[in-house]
Amino acid sequence: MTPQDTSQSSTTIPVRSLTAGMVVKVCLILTGLLVLTALFSTMVGTARITWGQLWDLLLGNGSPTDPARLVIFRIRLPRVMLAGLVGFSLSLGGVVFQALLRNPLADPFILGVSSGSAFGAVLGIMLGLGFTFGIPVLAFGGAVLTMYLVLVLGKKKIGMESSTIILAGVIINAFFTAIIMFFIATAANDRLHTMLFWLYGDLSQSRFAESAIAAPAVIAGFLILYCFARHLNVMTAGEEAALHLGVNVGRAKLICFLVVSLVIGLVVAFSGLIGFVGLVIPHLCRMIFGSDHRLLMPASALSGAIFLIAADTLARTVISPSELPVGVITAFLGAPFFIYLLRKRGSRWTGS
Amino acid sequence: MDGILSLSNVGYCYGSRWALRGVSLEIGTGEVVGILGPNGSGKTTLLKVADRILEPDEGTVSLKGRPLQAYNRAGLAREIAMVPQENHFQFSFSSLEVVLMGRFSHMGLFQFEGERDLEVALASMEAAHCIQLAERPIDRLSGGEKQRVLLARALTQEPGLVLLDEPTSFLDLRFKKEIFELLSSLSRERGLSLMIVSHDMDLSARYCDRIILLYEGKVFSEGTPDEVLTARNVEAVYGCPVTVDKNPATGSPRVSII
Repeated sequence: MTPQDTSQSSTTIPVRSLTAGMVVKVCLILTGLLVLTALFSTMVGTARITWGQLWDLLLGNGSPTDPARLVIFRIRLPRVMLAGLVGFSLSLGGVVFQALLRNPLADPFILGVSSGSAFGAVLGIMLGLGFTFGIPVLAFGGAVLTMYLVLVLGKKKIGMESSTIILAGVIINAFFTAIIMFFIATAANDRLHTMLFWLYGDLSQSRFAESAIAAPAVIAGFLILYCFARHLNVMTAGEEAALHLGVNVGRAKLICFLVVSLVIGLVVAFSGLIGFVGLVIPHLCRMIFGSDHRLLMPASALSGAIFLIAADTLARTVISPSELPVGVITAFLGAPFFIYLLRKRGSRWTGS
Repeated sequence: MDGILSLSNVGYCYGSRWALRGVSLEIGTGEVVGILGPNGSGKTTLLKVADRILEPDEGTVSLKGRPLQAYNRAGLAREIAMVPQENHFQFSFSSLEVVLMGRFSHMGLFQFEGERDLEVALASMEAAHCIQLAERPIDRLSGGEKQRVLLARALTQEPGLVLLDEPTSFLDLRFKKEIFELLSSLSRERGLSLMIVSHDMDLSARYCDRIILLYEGKVFSEGTPDEVLTARNVEAVYGCPVTVDKNPATGSPRVSII
């Protein structure tokens, strides 16, 4: 027995507090899982590709005329990468908004960013613009516009009150939804199909260029938000408590709102509205990893990426060679799972 | 007296109603000050102005001789801590994690709690008699247990002044006494200053060095418990007849409703 053991009192408290090592460990494991999921997703589909083929092609071997090369580099990998980035962002945004608004039912769309970008996208489809440039630009513009309106409406004398912000989001959501319905009602049949796929989230149009634009923004957004991980921990105790504990609540809130909304606006412009990821994954991760945002943020983001890649793989294989919008899969899996969670652990989130 | 906090001619206005008006007071180092007064007399507003949750519309507040505005939020949190009446937790944290939140203002951007942070947190939990709750989730504690965890969180900030907003309102008799005993020993041993808002006149009379009686946003009377808790003062402020005698066991004034 060491001297320390004998000096301790009979009631030894098992002291655990989060360490950087634990965060790194969890992130490495999840990143490993993410890579495996991505490789697996690249292999399955209408055209089957074997491990060996994939390995050769990724290492740059194999014949340049191999049709598998085209399938992997032109179709599947861009799609897997974008799915990963979108899942990462939605889940990260969900965690941050749930903490900021102290509302376990918040998701990254709660401030109306979704309806704003949907308005932009549907307008773009109506005007016959393309998925390469026109639609994403209008969708992102719509997201930025909503965010601006929500912040202007929600801003009061002392900072921004969460309930006011949520209300402003709800109102703007309702307004844009009305316009979207008007477009849908008057749209021609071929455009209607495109609109509905966009509204349910669709990754089939993915190209490397989109990931190349989204990746730096998503990573920068994550780094900025991660600086506020401890702020978010303290802010879940309430805004006034957070002030007493030394958090500059107004500044933290504004920066987090802006960064999340911009990142979400950007990825949604490429992917359309994919629901449930930003709600279910943060919950699941909270159950597994606890509420400390220094661990929860990276863990949720990586899990979101894994989940969406898997869901998108299902979306393009279940009724192959036809496809489903990925949002259908996430909602189909997410909703029953969420009901199960609510029934089982509901009281713990509502605080009762 | 070398003061830690001083308010001079402070007023705060909700819309058109003055919740505080012309309040001047001084809190000394290591002093235990009880804030008494009926509902709506401005007690909680006074605490909020003292920690700059609310900016006063009139007058100035200064901490250790510097105006409150000269401190940033973290700097303020290292000097002043608050034990709220209640703290509702939406997500599940362990009690130790909640207490460690008290270290926020002492830590850098990417830092994880180090040995010293943990030491301070555990010592505070020991002092607040809640160390046995360290691993329990905060949202599963009883009112009294939670209150002690919140006190430990405030002590973990290592402040010079602790503000308490009715810290014993959810506690039973024994814990009430325990908390007040604990607070007064902390102030004696560590030179901690305390501002305690309470409805419990007997405990305030026994444990506070000084009582400030608020009425309609103004200081009605101020002084030792014996000087302030007279039948005349209490009747005037609370509008109900009382008698005041001495508690035979402790010698402090005892207010009873007639």
